[in-house]
Amino acid sequence: MPPKVDPTKCDGCRGESEPLCEQVCPGNLMTLDKDTMKAIIRDKSDCWDCMTCTKACPRQAIQTVLQYQLAYFPGKLIPLVGTNSVTWTSIDCHGRVERFVMKTLVSGDDEDED
Amino acid sequence: MADRVYIDADVLILGGGTSGCIAAWEARQAGGDDLKIVIMEKAFIRHSGCLSAGMNALNMYINQGTPEDYVAYVRYDICGAPIREDIILSVALEVNDTVKLMESAGLPMKMKEDGRYLNRGKWNIEVNGSLLKPITASKAFDAGAEIYNRVYITELIIKDGSCVGAVGFGVRDGKFYICRGKVTLLCTGGAAGLWRPNNRRDAHHRIWYFPFNCGSAYAMCKRAGAEMTSFEMRLVPIRTKDTFSPTGTMSIGMGAPMVNALGEVFMEKDPYYVSWGGHTAPTPIRMLAFQRETLAHRGPIYLDTTKGDPAKVTGLKGQYLDMSPCIVLYWGCNDIDPSKEPIEIDGGDPYLVGAHAGMSGAWTKGITRETTVQRLYVSGDALGAAPSRFISGSWTCGRIAARHMVKALKENSYQFVDIEEGVCDTLEERTFGPLKRYQEKSAEGVWSDGTLMTGITHKDLESRMQKIMEEYCGGRTHWYFVNETYLDIARKHIKRMRQDQLQYLCVRDLHELQLAWDVINRLDVCQLVIEHMSFRKETRFPGYVNRTDYPEPDPEFDCFVNSVWEQETDEVRCFKVPYEQVVPGDRKKQSI
Repeated sequence: MPPKVDPTKCDGCRGESEPLCEQVCPGNLMTLDKDTMKAIIRDKSDCWDCMTCTKACPRQAIQTVLQYQLAYFPGKLIPLVGTNSVTWTSIDCHGRVERFVMKTLVSGDDEDED
Repeated sequence: MADRVYIDADVLILGGGTSGCIAAWEARQAGGDDLKIVIMEKAFIRHSGCLSAGMNALNMYINQGTPEDYVAYVRYDICGAPIREDIILSVALEVNDTVKLMESAGLPMKMKEDGRYLNRGKWNIEVNGSLLKPITASKAFDAGAEIYNRVYITELIIKDGSCVGAVGFGVRDGKFYICRGKVTLLCTGGAAGLWRPNNRRDAHHRIWYFPFNCGSAYAMCKRAGAEMTSFEMRLVPIRTKDTFSPTGTMSIGMGAPMVNALGEVFMEKDPYYVSWGGHTAPTPIRMLAFQRETLAHRGPIYLDTTKGDPAKVTGLKGQYLDMSPCIVLYWGCNDIDPSKEPIEIDGGDPYLVGAHAGMSGAWTKGITRETTVQRLYVSGDALGAAPSRFISGSWTCGRIAARHMVKALKENSYQFVDIEEGVCDTLEERTFGPLKRYQEKSAEGVWSDGTLMTGITHKDLESRMQKIMEEYCGGRTHWYFVNETYLDIARKHIKRMRQDQLQYLCVRDLHELQLAWDVINRLDVCQLVIEHMSFRKETRFPGYVNRTDYPEPDPEFDCFVNSVWEQETDEVRCFKVPYEQVVPGDRKKQSI
């Protein structure tokens, strides 16, 4: 389920030494395209689908998309990260929407705000 | 020569994962304010490793009974095979305390009405663990550990039989890191990617285990001359088809049974499986049953969620979002509703793990977690012969290792050992070798597609290695079968790759250098696996390793298979180590 970056939303995390997705990726896969100044994945086939980059993106520019060999178009799964929870919106191929609010932390500290 | 960074630590922790972070915290508790604790992490510590996607349960918790009952359960779950009962017991004695500690660090627990943790089956508890890794890392921050992110450790430094440090390269800065440790904890995880994955091309990393764990702990221990154990006891997982998401959420969480295409609940029907406990039979036996049903043309095989607890199916998607979100998207895209239809399962590519239902790793002295190389400790998946510790047990192992390290540090008054310039130079050359070679070999010619005329890539080596392991060392497409003839072929090829082909490995940048080291380490682990499988001339873990030439267990092998690598001859010398039963009782039965 490689991450796809929407170039109209991604601003390359200007002001950061490197984009947040690049900072957090456990596989060292995200990087900044020096020509476009947008985030890209070095090799989409190497992604483990942990969705860390998708959750970390401050502009919600990243969407994780399943490989077509595994699943039909055009389902979506969108996480919206809050202070102590993450709200997931699942939209299946027929447009049916389900929403899940999952707790992430006990107390209101800043663990999920990278 | 690269710029050099010199780091000195009283306690040097290699790998900022499940056990490394908590080891740092415990080292601070045991060692006091003046102790210098350093963690070297190849990614970014708040989001790295096996926990990066989250986890919805802690699979080791003493909900009931005693720590001894847990040992009996683990022994049973590995078909009564030898395990290090002393190690498992030491974890079971304090795992509940560790869970309390992590709850106070912010981990949301699910509670029952009576105020106890919500259990899943006998030994598991449910959590909202999507931030399990940041919460785990927060303990390392609390400890005031000095953390170096994006440094890939390539080699331990061994002097006079003791580990005195480690070296590596900065994945971002390209610097050469020379770390000295008075004591060193190696906890960089298990190994994925030795065998060919089920999904190909753009989905080749859609596997169960964390694909960026490449067995560096095993490989570095091996190269350091440490005694290794149980590399024939790999983990062969049954997981959801295509996404290879964990299945315990359905099988244990809602009691969904395995069924075949005829709708038969074969675990409760076949007397052999029933004799092992039916639905909850040991992990290798359930894998064996999956194989046999499929080979008897009664596939596909499913977990029948429609036969499980209907009240629990509604929460299923939420639970997967905490751990393996891609399956929720997969279900949505493929019109799958687990309340209305069973979920298809499949056998995945084998892994080497020490803390899950596999037991490969370094052999350790007593319950100290110290390897046979002095001052070198292991934890998490790197610790061998002690399966089923999972996340909560790996946290706990980190604590136990840290206490023993601090104790040894004080009792022996360990000091920093000088590392000669020549040793550093050799290690640096080795570390950056594939990168340097690319520049040299570029001059020898480049094909029109940009590849080198006199070099090969990490991807070439990985494909070759996975093909050999798949076809000659019991991969998924060979139904996990091996015999001595197959192993001989695997041995021959892996040896040739290690001894002759690595000299052609060339990479273009630091990211690829990381991948080059991943494959160098994996090849060393392949060598261990082949020699251990070849030595154990019996079938003790059917389903995991099916030896067609020795299909039954042999009492002569009711022991551990350990090994030491001889550097001069490049041979792995295997030998038997007796099993010691600590917890009395029938090894093939659970005590509660």
